[in-house]
Amino acid sequence: MNKEKTPKVAPREEWLRARKELLEAEKELTRRSDELARRRQELPWVRIDKGYRFETDEGNASLADLFRGRSQLLIYHFMFGPDYTAGCPSCSAIADGFNGFAIHLANHDVMLWAVSRAPLAKLQAYKRRMGWMFPWASSVGGDFNYDFNASFTKEQQLKGGIEYNYEREEPADYRAREGRQTGQWREGSESGDEGPVAEMAARCGTDVATYIRERPGMSAFALKDGIVYHTYSTYARGLDALWGMYQWLDRAPKGRNETGIWWRRHDEYERVAR
Amino acid sequence: MKTETVKPKTSTSETNPKIVSEAEWLVARKDLLTREKELTRLRDEVSKHRRELPWVKIEKEYVFEGPNGKETLADLFEGRSQLIVYHFMLGPGWEEGCKSCSYLADHFDGANWHLPHRDVTFVVISRAPLSELEAYKKRMGWRFKWLSSYGNDFNFDYHVSATEEEKTKGKMFYNYRTDELIGDEMPGLSVLYKDENGDVFHTYSTYARGLDLLVGAYNFLDLVPKGRDEDKLDFTMDWVRRHNQY
Repeated sequence: MNKEKTPKVAPREEWLRARKELLEAEKELTRRSDELARRRQELPWVRIDKGYRFETDEGNASLADLFRGRSQLLIYHFMFGPDYTAGCPSCSAIADGFNGFAIHLANHDVMLWAVSRAPLAKLQAYKRRMGWMFPWASSVGGDFNYDFNASFTKEQQLKGGIEYNYEREEPADYRAREGRQTGQWREGSESGDEGPVAEMAARCGTDVATYIRERPGMSAFALKDGIVYHTYSTYARGLDALWGMYQWLDRAPKGRNETGIWWRRHDEYERVAR
Repeated sequence: MKTETVKPKTSTSETNPKIVSEAEWLVARKDLLTREKELTRLRDEVSKHRRELPWVKIEKEYVFEGPNGKETLADLFEGRSQLIVYHFMLGPGWEEGCKSCSYLADHFDGANWHLPHRDVTFVVISRAPLSELEAYKKRMGWRFKWLSSYGNDFNFDYHVSATEEEKTKGKMFYNYRTDELIGDEMPGLSVLYKDENGDVFHTYSTYARGLDLLVGAYNFLDLVPKGRDEDKLDFTMDWVRRHNQY
């Protein structure tokens, strides 16, 4: 499975020349990324008038309640539908990352929540199993996930009404969208009942159609003078920078080194020396 | 995790948004999406460029002190072919580890569930003696492997600790240039490779804002209306505390 590397071995001076050239490209990327973050802050806001309700560890809550005194709210749309037996492995890997630093955001005017459509008891049990600390709310029975394009109905799947990542999907083509449900938009992935999406669906104890009625995403909200606004949502590879392990792998000689779905829930790996 | 309702402790900037209809927002969002996709592609390209760097064979032997006793650089790979070292700022005699490195370290354990399964061993190395590292690690509740380079040249050779000469001159080679000395210990990340003959190669090091992408919390803050919200602070990360000091 692992790639073999046939490197060019060079003296230190030659490496340094190549490294400095790369440094310029990296600095350009950092500047471009800063500029994009500025543009993102300039996006207009949309007022939310709908009264969404959530089930939380502390009871029933409104969207405004989720801010917990902060003025900004980030919601990770964690793929965990009512019929899943466990949370999506890819979302779980992303959650492994934000679990560690959500406390820093909470102390910098940003509350980070995960929201899923499964009932609260299911989310709580899975959260305990994974040893996570971040708050996780259930949007079961409400429109929240649908309104923010993180869940879709059977009818949408069949009749064509799915708009995900700001693109309209063809009706009932979920089989042809194989490979698109892992957060990694890959080309040339297989379709049918085999392939990465079928594998992910099986890992969540469900079938492909049910599995991909939930989609990964992240939405940002602001609370100003008691009114909640939607400011931003991102999906698909827009989540790439939020998937912590990739930023580290991008620095290793073999890079992401992927030939299929290699990641597991962190308690499903064989024990390794740490 | 303390997530009760609080007033934010950091002074934060005011927002002055333009409120629009959903349709109008969507136009602006789609325009931004095009730019985001461009940036993702550019990042993929830079990652590819990075993997094409030549490698430098390491001839020097470094011995570290760690939880398993003395280990050489080659030992640290633990059977894998790739090693990522985070250079954590904790010098001999410091009372506690650097606050910003501790903020980064809150990201390590989450990623490190997964890295060993892509042929990557991840370790943290600092110059303080092992007992000082272990005390701080225990206090912070981290799991990653932390080794001491106390007494060897590793930190100096990888330009994250100032040499006596650099301290005397007040100038240090850091992030690929010689500049005013900021501190005796500096943050960085180095990547090494071990081939089937057991030879070890240095492939990559990054410093300063080169570490920015690894700070997941910043990648999240880049999505909220106020962004990182650090402009009015004395320095970036001025708002950051150790996770048990908030």
